[in-house]
Amino acid sequence: MAPAPRKAMSEPGLWWLCLPAAAVFVVFFVIPVASLFGLSFNKSVAGVISYSNELTFDNFVRIFTRATYYEAILRSIWIAAVVSVTSLAFGYPLAYLIAKTTHPGRNTLLMILVLSSMQLDMVIRLFGLMVLFGDNGLINGFLLYLGLISRPLPLMYNTFGVIVGLVQITLPFMVLSLIGIIKAIHPSLEEAARSLGASRLQAFFSIVLPLSMPGILAGALLVFALSISSYVVPALMGGWKVIVLPIHIYQQIAEVGRWQFGAAIAVVLFVTSVIAVAIYHQAAARTSGGRT
Amino acid sequence: MHEESNVPSVFKAIAFLSLAILLVPMAVVVLAGLNSGDYLTFPPQGLSLRWIKAFLTSPTFLSAYGVSFVVALGATLVSTLFGTMAAVFLSRSSSGSVPVLRGFFMLPIVLPGVVLGLALYVFFVSSGVGLARTMPGLLIGHILVTCPFVIATVTASLVGFDRSLEEAARSLGAGPVTAFRLVTLKIIAPAISAGSIFAFIVSFGQFELTLFLTAPDLQTLPSAMYTSMRYKFEPTAAAAGIFAIALVVISMVVTSRLVNLKKIFER
Repeated sequence: MAPAPRKAMSEPGLWWLCLPAAAVFVVFFVIPVASLFGLSFNKSVAGVISYSNELTFDNFVRIFTRATYYEAILRSIWIAAVVSVTSLAFGYPLAYLIAKTTHPGRNTLLMILVLSSMQLDMVIRLFGLMVLFGDNGLINGFLLYLGLISRPLPLMYNTFGVIVGLVQITLPFMVLSLIGIIKAIHPSLEEAARSLGASRLQAFFSIVLPLSMPGILAGALLVFALSISSYVVPALMGGWKVIVLPIHIYQQIAEVGRWQFGAAIAVVLFVTSVIAVAIYHQAAARTSGGRT
Repeated sequence: MHEESNVPSVFKAIAFLSLAILLVPMAVVVLAGLNSGDYLTFPPQGLSLRWIKAFLTSPTFLSAYGVSFVVALGATLVSTLFGTMAAVFLSRSSSGSVPVLRGFFMLPIVLPGVVLGLALYVFFVSSGVGLARTMPGLLIGHILVTCPFVIATVTASLVGFDRSLEEAARSLGAGPVTAFRLVTLKIIAPAISAGSIFAFIVSFGQFELTLFLTAPDLQTLPSAMYTSMRYKFEPTAAAAGIFAIALVVISMVVTSRLVNLKKIFER
């Protein structure tokens, strides 16, 4: 770098700092993802993976006209929507509790618990869930032991199991999206409502809940995007009986060898989650309202 | 504590239920790994170190643990270096491209892991670079998903940074690089450590991305656990899980001492 005067550490001379990361991202992210998009417009030939210039919409036509595929799209969207709502119902009270916990030690403890459960390998957490929810699992074992049921309840290897798994995995993301916005709501607003005779719950539903709407929307859409793109949860908790888009992608590639068609499903999945994330970003922009 | 008593009791009840949803599966993994039977049932059969021993002598799991460790270490080193450099640029430059770049660097964690893994695999195979299902190929995938965490953590700490400190050093005769090294780097060092810890954990727990990038002789810990869970469901996987849980909890406690966790994760 040339010995620039005074402002040497500021704007113009620093662009090179960005180069290594940008180079890695362009070569190994932008180009591969763009190529995958390109491949999805090639004719699907089993076992062949090379690009041709003949573009066709065949793969996409097939996805939207064959019941197995478009039903998988609808199933994916439906499951992700149910997970968003469930995750919100469980996540909001926890986020509220963390936001209102002023004791620094307790607050850090709660944050560590939430973050650890977010960062821990999903496969390990699913192991725990499978031991709990299986036919011979702890929950069924406990209920049988008490004599409350005579046959194991079907808690896993079905849609219910997939939803349970996804809620477990997305809950920390929901909680983290909500804490900030709940904290930003001034307590005096709630107090004012209470002093006017509202009960704690009334004050909550008429003041706090409406004001936290942007965070709720943001969290729900983040959870939606995470749920719709999950492969490991439907594979393990659904036992390959709940066929969603990521399962189709894996089957097309690993079992049938139809790269182009697998790529097309990946594109559909990607576009669906990009739409969710785009809405999420707009919601987030409104949430911060100039704070960032 | 008076604020906490303001939380309606219905909320407290659900909040504790949510904590249970988050933590019980982890506790179950620990129990399953320490259980003496073949399968954790109710009522449990008693404690034993049998599965821990099985894990410590299992060639599959041990080598998977080794692969995960090496990949996580490599990805962390590269991501920390490249990510910190990019973060310095992103927080100092006033160029109009900064917000776009910032969003661009977050993309790999937004893209579904299966899609990113597939895109990389197709790219490696079709371009004939010989990276498909190899260690360097796996490493590249991990760098893409860990770099965003370093960039986010370090950028967050640089946002509130007082530039006049660095200028003071410069006015006392330090060159730009020396001033940066002695002043700025010292101050953002905790954030860099925190970012690299995040990178390590994210890489260590990465599964969906690696679906198409691993090979039978190149399995990471999550992929070895996944295989075992789909076909055998042996408690050895739980014993392996105990070591991973310990790693994550310790890292989070260390991170919480280094940086303000909320600053990074709260929007």
